[in-house]
Amino acid sequence: MDSAIRTGNAKSPAYYIWISSLIALMVLGGYAQIMSLLTSLEIMEFSLRIPWTMMVSNYVFLVVSSTGLCIVSSLGHVFGMKRYELLSKRCVFLALVTIIFGMSSIALHLGHPERALIYNIITPNLRSPIWWMGTLYSFYILFIAVEFWFLVRMGMAKKANSSTDLKQKIYSLMVARKTDETPESLKNDHKWARIAGVLALIFGLSAHNTLGAVFGHTEARVFWYGPYYPVYFLFSAAFCGYAWLISATIITYKVKGKEIAGKLKKLLFEMSKIFALLLCIGLLFTSYKLGFGLLNPAKAKSIMLLLNGPFSLPFWLFEIAIGSLLPIIILLYAAYKKKIGGLLTASIMVLIGVFVMRFDFLVVGEVYPMFSPMGKDALVLVPSFFPVLMEIFVIAGIFGALFLSYTLGVKFLPLEEELQ
Amino acid sequence: MVRRTTKTRRQFIKFFATTSIGLSLGSSDPAEASPRKYGKLHDTTKCIGCKRCVSACKRWNKLKIDRDEELTDRETDLTGKSWVVVNLTRDKRNREDLHYQHWTCQHCIKPACAGVCPVKAIKKLPEGPVVIDEKKCIGCRYCYQACPYKVPRFDFEKRVTRKCTMCHDRIPRVKPACVTACPVGALDFGVKQEILTKARKRTEEVGGYLLGEHEAGGTDFLTILTTTPEDLGLVVAPKKVVNRDLDKLRITSYGFSGASLLTGLMYMYSRTEEEETEETEEKE
Ligand code: SF4
Ligand code: SF4
Ligand code: SF4
Repeated sequence: MDSAIRTGNAKSPAYYIWISSLIALMVLGGYAQIMSLLTSLEIMEFSLRIPWTMMVSNYVFLVVSSTGLCIVSSLGHVFGMKRYELLSKRCVFLALVTIIFGMSSIALHLGHPERALIYNIITPNLRSPIWWMGTLYSFYILFIAVEFWFLVRMGMAKKANSSTDLKQKIYSLMVARKTDETPESLKNDHKWARIAGVLALIFGLSAHNTLGAVFGHTEARVFWYGPYYPVYFLFSAAFCGYAWLISATIITYKVKGKEIAGKLKKLLFEMSKIFALLLCIGLLFTSYKLGFGLLNPAKAKSIMLLLNGPFSLPFWLFEIAIGSLLPIIILLYAAYKKKIGGLLTASIMVLIGVFVMRFDFLVVGEVYPMFSPMGKDALVLVPSFFPVLMEIFVIAGIFGALFLSYTLGVKFLPLEEELQ
Repeated sequence: MVRRTTKTRRQFIKFFATTSIGLSLGSSDPAEASPRKYGKLHDTTKCIGCKRCVSACKRWNKLKIDRDEELTDRETDLTGKSWVVVNLTRDKRNREDLHYQHWTCQHCIKPACAGVCPVKAIKKLPEGPVVIDEKKCIGCRYCYQACPYKVPRFDFEKRVTRKCTMCHDRIPRVKPACVTACPVGALDFGVKQEILTKARKRTEEVGGYLLGEHEAGGTDFLTILTTTPEDLGLVVAPKKVVNRDLDKLRITSYGFSGASLLTGLMYMYSRTEEEETEETEEKE
């Protein structure tokens, strides 16, 4: 099995199994989505009282990851760190894929996504963070896409020039017939990629701030209210970006059976240290939030849900242990022993932890206050906070599509690191 | 030409004077006094819990009637199809003291829901009602999160958020459906200022609490409770405008400071040299 994956060639059975299971996930998601259109959107929700659940948390997870990837990639060609430029293409491609599927996640959650496109433009509400978020992220997607195009144009042009027939046609269409391979054109590409990269970073950070503001502005949700989330989201974006990039790079190399060596290896270990540092900062943020929150009686009730309530298992096990503490230890150990496997494990653990954390923060925030004229506690009104099956299907479909896009991207686009 | 200038100047002065007076008095008062502004009142001390208001609401607004509407004292919650609910409330300190409460959108004077709707689907009409435009709503449910009372609820079939409209399609010619249906006069509707005066007087008489006088910066639906909302175990809204724009700006500015800090750190990091691992590796 391992060797089958290792051959990394498109004809290996493992490759087909992988692709078909991703397609199966997409079919599952599509089924749930069609069912919700045919019956009612209710099949996606576990309670009318908690309207934002996994679809929204998945959205937050993916767009935060995308901003993080944009931050990491901008270290390379915006801030001029030569060593990071090595991973630029992969990083920007991941940023593009995650933002696209993040946006799909929220679009599927809306009652009428088609109206959002129209009325966001005709009757904008400048006082609404959601309006700002949607608008800024739209620009962000545009700039990330432009940046990516300029980064891979040369590679695609080479493919176009070296292939024939249909393949050649498709590639030259993808580069808009700019199949020029001269060093001047490469320089030009770099210039434009950099401009688009700066804009993507500016719009990404601003959009991200308004994403935090969607929660931070909501005075009627004490757990979210305040400047904490806009700021925290930025820092958590940074470590999510590292986690995605490290895991995607290592997995891709493993699957292709290529060795990670030289500059790339060194860069990965350097990244792992920054990654560990960011995780520590994240942990400090969390302790601050919980500590100060407990002092505020209005927030304390929500926080107790995490510390010692229905969310305590996801909180202690996933957020704290799997999502922060263990990865920090593993990263430091791996950096010391120079073990690539450790980096991979830690990154995947962080991604899982953060995915759960996004769900927790969202749902915990929605528990109090809950309207109950007879004074029933929220935990009686909503006995379980577990997402329903149909919603899980849709999320699975989204991830299926995301991984499929990445796999196809790796296969057909010039994302390779130029190690020489 | 000259006349026009004077007129504009006069308009400007008038505008300036009214705004500054408005600001100094606090936002709600001048608006309250307008004869075109209406309010609704519920008196829990008179309500007998017959739920005719609920049925009338459903009939007028063509909402689906569901099981919960039966005459039981089971707790009922607002939904996309139940814009008004009547529930029994109990005073925590005096468990014998039970009253029915007609619960619906409070029609805040400065509605938090309208402030957060990304597409301006929610409007505060000059007559008082806060209304959702169902043809515009994109179903994001942000209004639900922002409302201090959690009133706007999602309708899963129509895929939009819906709530009480204070029968804006009837008033002021005809009173809201619920008010007309009430057999004992527990509900009242009229010019806001008059309703407020009446409500204050009645609250004093029964020694109760007037919900909506100050909550969320004042609301156009008022409820006379026998005691404080805390004692009744109701959702307690702050006694100020919820989601003020100034607070929003303040919080956003923290976010931008965070972003600048992060960019600064990235810049500092980008100036660091590549680590010296190569040498050590080679030595090894
Ligand atoms: S009670 Fe809620 S829904 Fe009604 S106007 Fe106020 S904020 Fe809006
Ligand atoms: S659910 Fe509808 S009315 Fe409420 S904020 Fe979203 S778009 Fe506006
Ligand atoms: S119709 Fe009047 S008395 Fe009957 S439940 Fe409604 S408010 Fe109370």
